[in-house]
Amino acid sequence: MTDLSPASALLLVAWGTIVALDLVSVPQAMVARPVVAGAVAGWLAGDVEAGLRMGVLFELFALDVLPVGAVRYPDYGPATVAAVALAADSPWQFALGLSAALGLALAVLGGFTLQMVRRANARAIQHHSAALAAGESGAIRRLQYGSLARDAARGAGLTAVGVGCAWLLADPLSRLDRSTALGLTLVALGCGLSAVIGGALRSAGRGPRLHWLGAGALIGLLAAALR
Amino acid sequence: MTGARRAWLRLLAVQGTWNYERLLGVGMGYAAEPLLDDLKTVDPVRHTEAVVRSAEFFNCNPNLAGLALGATVRAEYDGVPGGQIARLRTALCSPLGAMGDLLFWAGLLPLLLGAALIGVVLGARWWAVLGFLALYNVARVVTGTWALRTGLEAGMEVGAAIGRSWVPGAIERVGPAAGLSIGAAIPLVASWYLVDIGWPAAFGAVAVAATGVAVTRWFGASLTTVRFALLALVLLVLFRWVLP
Repeated sequence: MTDLSPASALLLVAWGTIVALDLVSVPQAMVARPVVAGAVAGWLAGDVEAGLRMGVLFELFALDVLPVGAVRYPDYGPATVAAVALAADSPWQFALGLSAALGLALAVLGGFTLQMVRRANARAIQHHSAALAAGESGAIRRLQYGSLARDAARGAGLTAVGVGCAWLLADPLSRLDRSTALGLTLVALGCGLSAVIGGALRSAGRGPRLHWLGAGALIGLLAAALR
Repeated sequence: MTGARRAWLRLLAVQGTWNYERLLGVGMGYAAEPLLDDLKTVDPVRHTEAVVRSAEFFNCNPNLAGLALGATVRAEYDGVPGGQIARLRTALCSPLGAMGDLLFWAGLLPLLLGAALIGVVLGARWWAVLGFLALYNVARVVTGTWALRTGLEAGMEVGAAIGRSWVPGAIERVGPAAGLSIGAAIPLVASWYLVDIGWPAAFGAVAVAATGVAVTRWFGASLTTVRFALLALVLLVLFRWVLP
């Protein structure tokens, strides 16, 4: 982990808050996608390469998620920001695994906090049910702004916990023996690949999209071999 | 009717009050407010009823929510009976959800993300990330603007307007393109990481990937890929601790 100044840590928390809000609440401009969140977090932490490596890895996991209906899913945005904070300024081959473990745990926690915010929104609606039934526009606005504030607080808290954990794990990461660190990285990469392959196969079903997926994989293999 | 621009901006936060009771309902009510303002002076009673209806249960893909918003607001101005507007709203949930999810979450998004991952891996780095953001947001802004305008113009005829639109054709085309893009990205991303580590170690990662695909398909929802990953990482640490 890079020696983050308090200003950099605050910037990362601010970025994590924006990213958390973008996931569902506003504006869904896709800055919450790990590849975007990671690249910017890497830039803020002074190590864009680490940001891209973490961001692409978490994107593999995120591509397994299809956010349809009321489905529950992990929140990979703040998780990616915290994982980048831990991985920055270390050789990625040895930092990726432990950072991914931190990020994945945080993503699961983020998913739980998202449920908590949704339940809190429902309670707020019940609290304002009389005003809603009376057609008070002010009540709708208050509910909307209150919910956005709750989600922002969730994102800030989640990222702050993540950056704090990254600070605590920086020393163990530096003392981790290289074979274990590399093993963790390989396991994290394998799991990321299993996530994206599983998600792609599920989305493809048995229709023509499966053939296009296969054709794409062949093109990708050829391109990888020629590089 | 005024306030379309403000309503469009508010649609960006249509999921702001997402909850398990009304889902997008309150967000739709928030977006409807500027559009319903003119009704307040014309017919205050109708305005109050329209505000109540606008915040009731609703769910669909956020990028196509403008179709339902525009159609129901237009119906309010046209004096359509409230029960009929409520039925229209309910009837739009499933098709707008399914079409929007196929167009965006299962189509455009993986298509552009696959391209972005390929770009990053091939060295475009920031350009790939910025290109993804630009293309996605242009598509989304154009779709959102079209959706609100079409809904406001069509009113109760919005179903026919959607059927005649470009959306069904785009869904058919974007799905295969997304498959191609993600399919090409997977081997390139894998090689980007694994070539630097060395092929013997890479076989280990590929073995973990194959195990993950098999195990998560076997166990279904009870063992998600994240749970599998955390389990595998913990097992590795325990293994190294027992056999240093």
